[in-house]
Amino acid sequence: MNLRVWLLLLGAVAIMSFAAMVLVVVPAALLTEVKPSPGLEPYTASEASGRGVYIREGCMYCHSQQVRDTTITTDEARGWGRPSVPGDYVYDAPHQLGTMRTGPDLMNVGARLPDRRWQLLHLYQPRAVVPWSIMPSFPYLFEVKAQAGPDDEVVTVPPAWAPESGVVVAGPEAVALVDYLLSLDHTQPLAPTEATPRAR
Amino acid sequence: MFASSLAVVLLTLAALLGAIVAFAWAWRKGHFHVDARAATLPFDDHDQRVARPWETPSQARERVQAHGPPLPPGPGEWGGA
Amino acid sequence: MTPPESPPAGTAERSALDFAGREPALLCFVTAVFWLLVGSIFGDLASLKFQFPDWLADSGALTFGRLRTAHLNAMIYGWSSLAMLGVSCWLIPRLVRQPLAWPRLAVGGAMIWNIGLLSGVPGLLAGATDGLEWLELDWRFSDPWLVLGGAMVGGALLRTVLGSKVEHLYVSVWYTAAAFVWFPILFVIGNLRVYTGVESAAVNWFYGHNALGFWLTAINLGAIYYLLPKVLGRPIHSYQLSLVGFWAFAFFYSLNGMHHLVGGPIPTWMITTSIVASGMMVIPVGAVAVNHHMTMVGRFGALRYSPTLRFVVLGAISYTAVSLQGIFTAFVEVNRVTHFTQWTIAHSHVGVYAFVTLTLFGSIYYILPRLVEREWPSASLIRWHFWLSLGGIAAYVLALIVGGVLQGMALLDPARPFEESVTVTLPWLAVRTVAGLVLTAGHLVFAWHIALMLSRHLRRERRLPPWHEAQPRLYEESG
Repeated sequence: MNLRVWLLLLGAVAIMSFAAMVLVVVPAALLTEVKPSPGLEPYTASEASGRGVYIREGCMYCHSQQVRDTTITTDEARGWGRPSVPGDYVYDAPHQLGTMRTGPDLMNVGARLPDRRWQLLHLYQPRAVVPWSIMPSFPYLFEVKAQAGPDDEVVTVPPAWAPESGVVVAGPEAVALVDYLLSLDHTQPLAPTEATPRAR
Repeated sequence: MFASSLAVVLLTLAALLGAIVAFAWAWRKGHFHVDARAATLPFDDHDQRVARPWETPSQARERVQAHGPPLPPGPGEWGGA
Repeated sequence: MTPPESPPAGTAERSALDFAGREPALLCFVTAVFWLLVGSIFGDLASLKFQFPDWLADSGALTFGRLRTAHLNAMIYGWSSLAMLGVSCWLIPRLVRQPLAWPRLAVGGAMIWNIGLLSGVPGLLAGATDGLEWLELDWRFSDPWLVLGGAMVGGALLRTVLGSKVEHLYVSVWYTAAAFVWFPILFVIGNLRVYTGVESAAVNWFYGHNALGFWLTAINLGAIYYLLPKVLGRPIHSYQLSLVGFWAFAFFYSLNGMHHLVGGPIPTWMITTSIVASGMMVIPVGAVAVNHHMTMVGRFGALRYSPTLRFVVLGAISYTAVSLQGIFTAFVEVNRVTHFTQWTIAHSHVGVYAFVTLTLFGSIYYILPRLVEREWPSASLIRWHFWLSLGGIAAYVLALIVGGVLQGMALLDPARPFEESVTVTLPWLAVRTVAGLVLTAGHLVFAWHIALMLSRHLRRERRLPPWHEAQPRLYEESG
C-alpha cells in the first residue's frame, strides 16, 4: 500500500522537477549570457530608491514595462518604443514587467515625457494634467510648506488643485520616484544581431 | 521569429496527437485499469442505501437491488440545511 | 455496481475518523472566513478607487496598489489556502480510513500559518512587498511562517496518507496528497531571491500559474471528486479517466506559466512551450469535465435538495469554463487583444471565485455540520448566500469580460488615443464594484450563519445523536 503512495508522490515530484528544469533552470543558464542593451546604465542611488517606491506603491498593477512584439501588437506604432529585449532588464530585480495596462506602458516614459515638473505634478494630482485619468493621486509623497526652502523642488499646482495656502514641495520619495521614471529610456537602437535575440 | 499562431496551432495538434496515442496505448495496455472498487472508496453502507428523493423509481429500484433495503435520509444528509 | 471492498464503515467509525481532524479543520475554517471578510473589504475599496481615485488618497496604506495586493494575498493565502487546509484535514482521514496523524501538529501549523498572514498582510498595507505578483508577502517576516506552518499541516496529512488502511487511493487523495508536495516546492522556488531581469519574470509566472494549478485547483478538484459522488450516492462516471486526467493535468499544467508573457521579452521557445502545453490542457480538462458532467447526468434534481451540490456543481462547471477560457487566452490571436486588460481580472475571478471559492463554500456546508454535530440553523441564509454569490460573480465576470475586450480593441488600434482604452472600461468597472459589494454581502451572510451555528454549538453541551439517525422518517418511493 505504502508503495503506491510513494510512487504517487515520487511521480508528482518528478513531473514538477521536469517543468522546473525546462522553465527555470535551463533559462537561468541561458540567460546568464545576456548583455545590457546599448546605453543602459545601472541605476543611480536615487533611481534605485525611486524604483523601491514604484514597487511599494504597486505601480506595476496598472503599468506594464514591456513593449510587445510588433508582429502581434501595435505597441511600437503607439509610440511606446522598440520591442523590449532581455538586455533591457539586466539591472532589474525583481522585474516589473506587469500584466495590466490600465495606464500606459512605462518602458520608455523617460524618453516620452522627460519634463520633471510634469512628472511631479502628475504624481501629486494626475487629473491636473490628464483630465480623464483614473490614476491614484499620491499627495503623501509631497509636503505643503509655508515657504519653499533653497533645495526644495516646488510643484506648480493649478489653482483648482492647489492647497488653500502654502506651496507644494516634492518629498524625497517623490523626487526619487521621478528620477526613476525619467531613467526609463530603452530607445537606443539595438545592434542588428541583438534585435532578434529571441530567435536563439 | 515570433512563433506565429499557425505554427503554434500545428505544433499543438501534433503534440496532442502524440499524447492521445500515448494515452490510448497506456489505456489498452491496462495501465489505468486499476481495481474498479477504488471508485467506491468514498461510500460506506449507509451512503449506498440511503434513499435519494430525486432519483427516478428505476434508479431507486437499482439502488435497492444492489445495496439492500433503503434507509431514510437524516437532516443535513446532503450538506446544508 | 460492485460492493464496497472493505466492510462498510459505520457512522461510529466515521465520526471517529472525523474526530482527530476536528480541531485543525475547525480552526482553519474559522480563520479562513475571517480572511474572506478582510479580503472582501480590501477588494471593494480597491474597486471603488476606479470610480473615486482621489478618495482616501492621503494615506499610503490605502492607495490602490497596496489595497489590491492585500486583497489578493488575503484571498489566496488567507481564505482559499486555509479553507483548503481545513477540507484536507477532514477529507484525507475519511478516504484513507485512518484518523488524522499528529492533530496537534496540524493545529500548530494552522496557527503559525495565520501568524504569517497577520504579519504579512498588514505589512503589505504598510508597503513591505517583495514586488512580484502572487509572491508579494514579505520574505523575512511572512514567508518563513507560511513555509513552517504549511509543512506542519502537510506533514500531519502525508503521515496520515502513508498510514493508509485501504488497499487503494481514491483520486481525491491523489490530488490532495500531491498538492502537499507540489506547493512547498513551488513556494520555495518562487520566493528564492536569486533571479534578475527576465529570469525573474519567468520564475514569477512559473510560480503564479502553478500556485493556481497545483495548489488551488488540485485540492478543489479533489474535493469535487469526493463530494459529487458522495451526495449522489453514485461512483464517479469513469474512475480510469480520472487517473488519466490526473497525470495529464500534472504534466501539461506545469509547463503553462510562460503564456502570461506572450509577446514579451523572454526567449520564444519558452513562450511556445507554454502555449503548446496550454493547448494540451484540453486532455485533463476534458477528462474532468466528462467525469463531472456524466456523474450528474440524470440526477440534476439533486440540486433542489443539496445546497452543497449547488455550490459544488457550479464550481465544477466553472472549472471547465475557466480552463477553456485559459486555453483560448493563451493563443496569440486572442492574447494580443486580451492581455493587459480587465479580461485577465475576469479570468482570475472565474478561477479563484467561481471555481475555487464556490467549491470551498459547498465543502464547508457539507463538512462543518459533521464536525460540530449540529445542523445549519437556517436554510434561507444558505439560499441568500448562494444567490448573492451566483449573481455577484456572474455580473462581475460578464462586466469585466466585456470591458476587457473593449479595452483591448482600443489599445490595439494606434489611431485611437490611449484615453479611449480607459473611458470604455469605466461603466464596466462600475458594474464590477456593485458586483463586488454583492459578493461581500454574501460573505457576510455566510460568516453570520457560521457564527450562529458555532455559538449554538458552544452554548449547549448536549450532543445530538449521529446526524442521520436524529429524525427517522419512513421511506417512500417517489412517483
